[in-house]
Amino acid sequence: MAKLSLMFENKMVKEVPIGGRPVSIGRSPDNDLAIDNLAVSTYHARVYFEGNRLVVEDLDSLNGTFVNDLRVERAMLHDGDTIWIGKHSIKVDATADTAIPWDTGRKAAAPKINETMVLDTKARRDMLQQAAAMGERSQFSPGRMKMPTLVVLSGRVDQKEYVLTNKLTVIGKSPMATIRLRGWFKPQVAAQINQRDDGYYLGTGAKIPSVNGAPIQGPVRLNDGDLIEVCGIRINFVVRE
Amino acid sequence: MQIVSGGVSDVGRVRTNNEDSFRIIEPLNLFILSDGMGGEAHGEVASAMAVETVGEYCSQAEPAGEDAGVTVHGGAMDNWSPQTKQLQNAVFQANFKIHQSAQEHQEQRGMGATLTAGWINGNKLSLAHVGDSRAYLLRAGGLQQLTNDHSLVAEQVRRGILTPQQAEESEMQSVLLRALGANPEVDVEMDEVDLMPRDVLLFCSDGLTRMVTEPEIAGKLQAEPDPGSAAQKLVDLANERGGLDNVTVIVVRMQEESKGWFSWLRRDSGKKD
Repeated sequence: MAKLSLMFENKMVKEVPIGGRPVSIGRSPDNDLAIDNLAVSTYHARVYFEGNRLVVEDLDSLNGTFVNDLRVERAMLHDGDTIWIGKHSIKVDATADTAIPWDTGRKAAAPKINETMVLDTKARRDMLQQAAAMGERSQFSPGRMKMPTLVVLSGRVDQKEYVLTNKLTVIGKSPMATIRLRGWFKPQVAAQINQRDDGYYLGTGAKIPSVNGAPIQGPVRLNDGDLIEVCGIRINFVVRE
Repeated sequence: MQIVSGGVSDVGRVRTNNEDSFRIIEPLNLFILSDGMGGEAHGEVASAMAVETVGEYCSQAEPAGEDAGVTVHGGAMDNWSPQTKQLQNAVFQANFKIHQSAQEHQEQRGMGATLTAGWINGNKLSLAHVGDSRAYLLRAGGLQQLTNDHSLVAEQVRRGILTPQQAEESEMQSVLLRALGANPEVDVEMDEVDLMPRDVLLFCSDGLTRMVTEPEIAGKLQAEPDPGSAAQKLVDLANERGGLDNVTVIVVRMQEESKGWFSWLRRDSGKKD
């Protein structure tokens, strides 16, 4: 069972379980966690389950909602995180059965077995030829990755199409975003696309985007024809020949 | 933006000496990391040479045009900034020195080093990279790898020969296609990244990424605002997991200038009467 513990200066004030209904936080006494403090907005934030992920959402509060050190509009929560609202901290307790699924236990890189060695040009060619022979049955198409295009189907952005040429692509209101969102309440970084060795991956930013109707659980590899939705924008991921 | 940083290097729990080196040159916002290789502790010599050479070269004004001691190979993009080009030359110089040293000292034959370096000017990051150390960017909660591993298995993934899962299980993890010192010339991977406030950069040797998952790295970076402490916590985690290799971590945080009327009030009260 997941729960939120409201603390004030290291003393626990109130504990609230998180179930099927969102937990509301704010100054008004009709909130689930009512905090009587002028730095807290009437309806400041709320915490709820989205599938089996725990999410905190700021309700356009005056002074903001913080998770650990970072100010958020909307963010995923993990066991042990602390939500800061004014001087109050709210500890997040998410036990194993409500744990947020990450890429389970996969190391960023596998443990090394031998000492490092460097291949010279001939050895490298030979190795790659051997490896190619071994990998012929692989389902991936070999050769350079083609640059995909994002085709905007609906929503307020600055262009109709974007060719992904960079390693990092930001979708958001920031002037540095590739896909610039228009509108007052859009986040600086709504979502991001990262080019990796084996393809283009869509990741979260302040918002959790959907791919083909399903909100993503972590970085997701994009395939030709995928439909991306975030901040009311609908985009088609296209790999052209 | 204000930049704060911290770095830690540790021998790990298995090795007897630390062949990683790193350097943070704060006045330049230059961050350099290198993982050395070669028997008999020559890896230490190689990685130290790598970080010192790059640091020194970048600290001087770039010699202009023909006078440059090193010509720029490997298709330097014409629209790179002067700083990016200087960083690339610095890495060429480091490669040359290590290779030269190995030629002159029989016992150093076979020594080499990886190198991953970042140089920040305003909001532009110049990135130079050779080998399988890594640079990551944490932005809006998402961790992204900025560099490509120059390892055989990564190249096999890029070419569609292996899937990422197969690459992870391969026994050839440690075979590199590029390193400093192996040849008189080296192909340095260069990139430029526009940084945003609240971005966090991480430079690390593979001693970290082989022991710790990316979500764990992202979690520690988000939870610990002080870069030095974050780096130490990541190193501790790698060691808790076995510490099979030397581990080095540099954390760099791009801070927003504090805005808003509170800071205006504080500044103003300082100047009164």
